[in-house]
Amino acid sequence: MMLHLTDVSKSFGATTVLTDVSVAVERGTRLAIVGASGSGKSTLLRIIAGFEGPSTGTVSLDGRLLANPVSTVSAHRRGIGYVAQDGALFPHLTVRSNIAFGLRRSPGRDARVREVMDLTSLDLELLDRYPHQLSGGQQQRVALARALAPAPTVILLDEPFSALDTGLRAHTRAAMVTALERSGVTTILVTHDQEEALSFGQQLAVISDGRLVQAGPPSEVFDAPISAAVAEFLGAALFLPAHTSGPARAVCALGELHIRHDHSHGTASVRAMLRPAQLHVREADGDGDARVVAARQNGSAVELELRLGDGFTLTHRVPLYDAHLFPVGSAVAIRVDGGVVLYPAAATSETLGTAFAR
Amino acid sequence: MLAALFAAAALIPVGYVIQAAFAMGWEQFAELVFRPRVGELLTNTVLLVVLGVPCAVVLGVGGAWLVERTSLPARRVFAVLLVVPLTIPAFVASYGWASAIPSIHGLGGGLLVATLAYYPLVYLPALAALRGLDPALEESARSLGMNGWRVFSRVVLPQLRLAILGGGLVVALHLLAEYGAFAFLRFETFTTAIVVAYQATFAGPNAAALGVVLATLCFVVLVIEATARGRLRYARVGSGTPQPASRVELGRVTPLVIAALVVLIGAAVVVPLANVARWLFATDASDWQPLLNATWQTIALSVGGAVAALIVALPIAWIAARYPGRTARALEGAYYVASSLPAIIVALALVTFTLRVLPAMYQTVFTVMAAYVIIFLPRALVSIRAGIAQVPENLEEVARSLGVSPFRAKLRVTVPLLLPSLAAGAALVALGAANELTATLLLAPTGTRTVATGFWAAASAIDYAAAAPYAITLVLLSIPAVVLMFAQVKARRSR
Amino acid sequence: MRNRLIRTAVAPVAVAALLLTGCTSTGENAASDAPADAATDALVIYNAQHEQLTEEWTAAFTEETGIEVSLRNGGDSELSNQIATEGAASPADVFLTENSPAMSLVEEAGLFAPVDAATLELVPEQYRPSSGAWTGIAARSTVLVYNPSMITEAELPSSLMDLQDPTWKGLWGAAPSGADFQAIVSAVLAVEGEDATRTWLEGMHDNATVYNNNIATMKAVNAGEVPVGVIYHYYWYRDQAGTAENSGNTKLHYFGNQDPGAFVSISGGGVLKSSTHPDEAQQFLAWLAGTAGQTILGEGYSFEYPVSTGIPARSPLPALDTLDAPTIDPSTLNGADVVELMTEAGLL
Repeated sequence: MMLHLTDVSKSFGATTVLTDVSVAVERGTRLAIVGASGSGKSTLLRIIAGFEGPSTGTVSLDGRLLANPVSTVSAHRRGIGYVAQDGALFPHLTVRSNIAFGLRRSPGRDARVREVMDLTSLDLELLDRYPHQLSGGQQQRVALARALAPAPTVILLDEPFSALDTGLRAHTRAAMVTALERSGVTTILVTHDQEEALSFGQQLAVISDGRLVQAGPPSEVFDAPISAAVAEFLGAALFLPAHTSGPARAVCALGELHIRHDHSHGTASVRAMLRPAQLHVREADGDGDARVVAARQNGSAVELELRLGDGFTLTHRVPLYDAHLFPVGSAVAIRVDGGVVLYPAAATSETLGTAFAR
Repeated sequence: MLAALFAAAALIPVGYVIQAAFAMGWEQFAELVFRPRVGELLTNTVLLVVLGVPCAVVLGVGGAWLVERTSLPARRVFAVLLVVPLTIPAFVASYGWASAIPSIHGLGGGLLVATLAYYPLVYLPALAALRGLDPALEESARSLGMNGWRVFSRVVLPQLRLAILGGGLVVALHLLAEYGAFAFLRFETFTTAIVVAYQATFAGPNAAALGVVLATLCFVVLVIEATARGRLRYARVGSGTPQPASRVELGRVTPLVIAALVVLIGAAVVVPLANVARWLFATDASDWQPLLNATWQTIALSVGGAVAALIVALPIAWIAARYPGRTARALEGAYYVASSLPAIIVALALVTFTLRVLPAMYQTVFTVMAAYVIIFLPRALVSIRAGIAQVPENLEEVARSLGVSPFRAKLRVTVPLLLPSLAAGAALVALGAANELTATLLLAPTGTRTVATGFWAAASAIDYAAAAPYAITLVLLSIPAVVLMFAQVKARRSR
Repeated sequence: MRNRLIRTAVAPVAVAALLLTGCTSTGENAASDAPADAATDALVIYNAQHEQLTEEWTAAFTEETGIEVSLRNGGDSELSNQIATEGAASPADVFLTENSPAMSLVEEAGLFAPVDAATLELVPEQYRPSSGAWTGIAARSTVLVYNPSMITEAELPSSLMDLQDPTWKGLWGAAPSGADFQAIVSAVLAVEGEDATRTWLEGMHDNATVYNNNIATMKAVNAGEVPVGVIYHYYWYRDQAGTAENSGNTKLHYFGNQDPGAFVSISGGGVLKSSTHPDEAQQFLAWLAGTAGQTILGEGYSFEYPVSTGIPARSPLPALDTLDAPTIDPSTLNGADVVELMTEAGLL
């Protein structure tokens, strides 16, 4: 255990931004904190960095108290690096001076600059360029190199890829994750992008309305979201009205299925969550499980709109080369792999989604 | 603490006017204020502002748009020429005009000279705003089928609102506070009347009563500007755009536009300078020593004033930019009111204050500096506040996360980034201080002679030939500051 | 929060101060060196007389006595009021004016030290106040400057008081904001009384074109803007002796007849009670009233009248005692009442 947040809350005047957040980050691991905008995740990062103090709770690093409501260790004495959303490179300094900013004047300084540039896959030709002469991706990697240069114990990344366009984003993310991996530094990323969060590191924390709702290895969180809202936030999800039919079995429009996890807390009416990838669709011999009511071409795939027996519709993607098997009006058979997760029933899935976003 | 102290000091003149008004009692105050003379002054002053500000805005915005967004030939040359009037103090311009056409006087003359002298105060911010404006906006407007004029009026003009309001405010306050130019042209405003009242009675009740009315006028102008500005802030967001704006083709009106610009520059620059030059040849100056001494004293006083104003302006600008709120706005407003009071009132307030409270400071350089700070603070404030607003807050945070203490973070990150706006603010203050007349006369140590006071002594005795060397020195002294300001505007895009 | 705000506010000041201390100190030193050093030991003269005249005086005085002099220039009213405001703290040693009301103001404030008897003896009684608190050092006569191409000699007014008549509307110019003209009004007040003066000023408000100063008035008459103007004599003679470019088209008319318009105004000099150099100050005043100082008036650039016995005025000035001026004790001229009357009439 090294970075420890215990019951951290933060209010600005009457507005509560964070409520009782506790997180522990192991040395050398990467934690992604995901949440919608306004969920308080950036504030959490700023409290760790030392730009804000917690209203209640404590922050400690390797047993050293960094902050409680009464006293805080200044940001510059924490040894915690920070990469801002827009990179926040110093516009009046070259790449070299930006990266060397946190380094003491010493003979090894220039070597260290080159070392972290190499680590972040930055071309040494950029050394004497100014920030405005760099691409967005290069700017972010310089920002990371600058944060890595003084060898901090922890690095904080505040949505560092959100300002980049899609192609550049994946590329930059890969380069940065590689650099972080190679440097072995403990890292916390905050993001609103689920895929980014799920692929970033060993730990994932989901934050909503200032509360930490779930934390754990990304695969576990994705597999067993603690609530329907979390499930929907982490990726496309289907919710079907269901009822339990025996130990670890539930019946829904797709038949009787295995219950992988039960988060229904014993409520009477429940619904079953499954991911689109669990569905396998083929032509039906007879009536089948559903009927194709519409088909929309979408690049290499076709989106089928399927109406189940009870009137419930769902969309399903099939490869373009299989599309001819499912003409509109035809009947299909649906197989479900891997079981379902049960949640209490709610009015509609839309309200859940919006409830989460809020 | 320091900031609070400076802040309080800058409000001395406002307190002085209020105290003087109360001291004389309502009856005497009413007697001095509600009389035909004040009505005449009020008419003159209000007409001056109501007519002068729109004229300056039209010239300033029009000029900026022509050089920045049209196919005007030689627009780089015009861009520079249009800012040149700033190097010619208004009272030197009016001396030029008055010696060329002696019959020029009254509202017409005052408007002519003041508009020509002050339109660059709108031109510069308008130019800066146009340079910072994303051309994509104009391009999309055109793709929606708007012609050049409609793009200008529907898209560009609204974007320039802040620049126009800010520039217009500065012009209005200059018009309210100008003495020398209008005195030459026999145009009576509150400020000239206050100077006359001061000459008759020093710090008498009449000067104070007129001062109250003038301060109220300034306050009204500030309120109008603040209302029009609404919730807009001066901070400009945007990373700047690499692609240049497409320009409106002037086509057949090109010769007309060029002719208009030539007339404008002729009137604003050539007429005053040609007359200064004419008198310069008539000067039989054998002894340049007094002028040289005056030049050195002017440089020392204005540089000192600029530095002092920066030191006071920095914390206030910081609070205004970083912690905007009612308090910050009230504080700023108070400075605008204080500085919009004519220099003579500021000077009288400081005379009274130093004599009563700090006699050791009476007639010292310190008091002159204090006056410069009070009079020219908004110039520094506007410039520095815009600069601070453009320095992202998170840069300092990042610097701290790299193990650099908050103080050193400011020193290594914020200060270098602020330098251009600090320099521009200092240049503006130094420019004002170098041309300052009445406060310098009243407050400076006995024997001080600046170029401006030297000019005034000769020019008000209608000794045009003796005034000419001082006039040209004033112009020369102004050049570096104007170059600096212009360079800062030009540099907007590359950042 | 507040604490942080203060810290963020103060830090940049400190930074700026740190960075710019160099500039500040050099700037302020440079500024204070020249004037302040000269001022500490020099005789400080609050000078409301023409700078050029006083500089002629002080240059000769310094050359003769080795006493350094420092001038603070301004107008009669502003400097007299400034001395009154400064009171005992005034840095001034000597006060010189163009007109006597300003001297009276300082005298009434009790700030003058008595002038040395030997100095007073140099000046005839009619050119100094009976109190001996100050002395006349020069004199100037009111005149009417007119443009013969616009008005004939026969059409000229016979008295200054005639100019209030509506027939003179728009036909005369003056500079009511200056102490010169205010001294003339004080003569009107002394000769004609308060009611007549009030009416006359109201007439002036309706009739007169207002200029900044005597030269501007004379220039306007010369340029044909107005036919006549009320000024002091020496502006015209100076211009005539030079290029005549501001007076070439004009002539002078003396009212004489002990008319208020023939008023001779006394320029005064006095030593402040609070002077830190009383001996040198008295020495300067004696020198001014003496042959050396008065000869500069009689021969120098100014064309003002010498007041001491036996020093002739500069040619071609008519002799002072031929002007038939009204007899007025200079110490009875009241500046404050005049300013009030003029303010009432809307001239100030």
